[in-house]
Amino acid sequence: MSEPIPAPGLVIKSSEFRRGREQSWRDLEVLLDRVERRGIKALGPDELERLPGLYRSALSSLSVARAIALDRHLLLYLEDLALRAYLVVYGPRRNLVQDCKDFLLHGFPAAVQGARWHILVTLLALLAGGVAGFMLTVGDEAWFNTFVPEGMAGGRGPASTREALLSEEIFAPWPGVIDSFLLFSSFLFQHNTVVGILSFSLGIAAGVPTLILIAYQGLILGAFLALHYDRGIALDFIGWVSIHGITELGAIVLCAAGGLLIAEKALFPGRYSRVESLARVGGEASRLAIGAVLLFFLAAILEGGFRQLVQMTLLRLLIGSGVAACWIFYLGQPLAAARQ
Amino acid sequence: MTPVHIRTALFLNPIGRARREIITPEGVPLTVELADYGERVGAFLLDVVFLAVTNILLYLVLHVAGGQSVGGKVVLTIVLFLGFIVQNLYFIYFELAWRGATPGKRIVGSRVVNRRGGPLSQNSVIARNLMRQLEAFMPLGALLSVGGAGGGVWQRLALALWLLVFALLPLFNRDRMRGGDLLAGTMVIALPKRRLLADLVEAGIGTDFTEQQLRAYGAFELQILEELLRRPENRETFELRRDVCERVCRKIGWREPVPAQGTLDFLRRFYTAERAFLEREQLYGRRYEDKHSAARQ
Repeated sequence: MSEPIPAPGLVIKSSEFRRGREQSWRDLEVLLDRVERRGIKALGPDELERLPGLYRSALSSLSVARAIALDRHLLLYLEDLALRAYLVVYGPRRNLVQDCKDFLLHGFPAAVQGARWHILVTLLALLAGGVAGFMLTVGDEAWFNTFVPEGMAGGRGPASTREALLSEEIFAPWPGVIDSFLLFSSFLFQHNTVVGILSFSLGIAAGVPTLILIAYQGLILGAFLALHYDRGIALDFIGWVSIHGITELGAIVLCAAGGLLIAEKALFPGRYSRVESLARVGGEASRLAIGAVLLFFLAAILEGGFRQLVQMTLLRLLIGSGVAACWIFYLGQPLAAARQ
Repeated sequence: MTPVHIRTALFLNPIGRARREIITPEGVPLTVELADYGERVGAFLLDVVFLAVTNILLYLVLHVAGGQSVGGKVVLTIVLFLGFIVQNLYFIYFELAWRGATPGKRIVGSRVVNRRGGPLSQNSVIARNLMRQLEAFMPLGALLSVGGAGGGVWQRLALALWLLVFALLPLFNRDRMRGGDLLAGTMVIALPKRRLLADLVEAGIGTDFTEQQLRAYGAFELQILEELLRRPENRETFELRRDVCERVCRKIGWREPVPAQGTLDFLRRFYTAERAFLEREQLYGRRYEDKHSAARQ
């Protein structure tokens, strides 16, 4: 038992192993260095082809090293190499044009259809808010000032006369390109997007703030409607709002539905842990939010640009319902089976 | 990492980064080190600075290009609008294009990864960055505008509290997740950057240790010895090696005196023999974790 181990027979498994595989590690390292510095485009087509193979062989080297090697540095190096390669191989794909196309043609309508019950609940909350706002304000116009923040009322209120509303608001002249497109639209876009993202992300707080926010938007709308109804110009008001309002409300509803989707998974995680469950639905819900931001963008352009260009209520109603039909057709279209 | 490696790492650096394991789609577990809270904050602040510089440049360019003809208010509106778009797209674009790193993250050396080890999807990147709006930009913007308009103290306090809660969230969960990570199923890791160094084992080196002597130690001690041999040469290392050499000689009953200049050589020979022995034993299914389990056999 205690005679010295003969020198020629000294075989060190991990060293042999390292000698055999080292070249492929170094090859992978060279490729990774270039990708990390200059992006995946720095690789030629044949190098791109080799990358997954080298990655898998690094993984297998790591597994072998874990089993046989006691060389600490070697193991740490292989862990790092495999992780770096993993980050490159499984990083997000980036074909932005194709991705945008996929999203518009398939991803967005699919996300909307997947969340139809959440959308229904949101619509109900909006409706409830709207009815309440309308009933209260019709009875007592003082409620208008309670519901509508000053910045949004823009001087309108119980004191407004029918003529003032007609000439300064509903049939106000078009203020020109710069004012309407640049100043007004961009302000609206920012404001609406923030409201949307807020109602989306507040879903994480169990969805209650989301529903309150939505019902509040309904209250404001109801109050405005009541103000005009009392002066006998409800239809004109609806026409005026419908041009952009359909798109804008749709976007708010989608954001909130995304928030509810998150809330549902946070409250009822099912067979997953709560954190896991959130992570599973987060991506899906964020598709709703991104689509909604696009809608907000369109709404702001419609509102800032075209609302005051068309000066006839009937035509406005037609445009509004046309826009609505477009959205319903686009988002409700029967989709081929999910491709993912 | 195997248990012995984790033990060694903890012994060498008890306050290092927290480690997690992700499983690649191939089914191999990989060890990742979570980025520190300070690195997270640093990366974010860098990104905010880059965004601010972009906005200022944008303003200057537009002002010079057309400021006189359309008026300052229009320029400001355009800048605010473009700034808003840039602010939202900046993080999403870079995390997609640079495989999980914004410029700030790249400087700090951190990456976004899928917490479960799958591919990092675009949906995740979008979700985690939409939440940024809620976590940071909206309350910050509100705080600044409230401050300007002389808003109420309570309002300001509420906003500050909001910011604080989201900013501290990573400190209160295991994976250092902020709100966006929670929603997107991601976490932020420190980017590894180790290079392959030379093997400490010398081929064809003679060994004159008996199996009895080699049984004195296990894998843990072997790895600590490896770390000692890889230390940069200086006075302290030299003394440490002297000390370790003496202890080893005493433990294995080595009678020949080891001269001071021969310390490194002796330790390397011992390391080689010990590693050969332990790896061979491991191949036969006998794992000696440390000197205690080695002595029991």
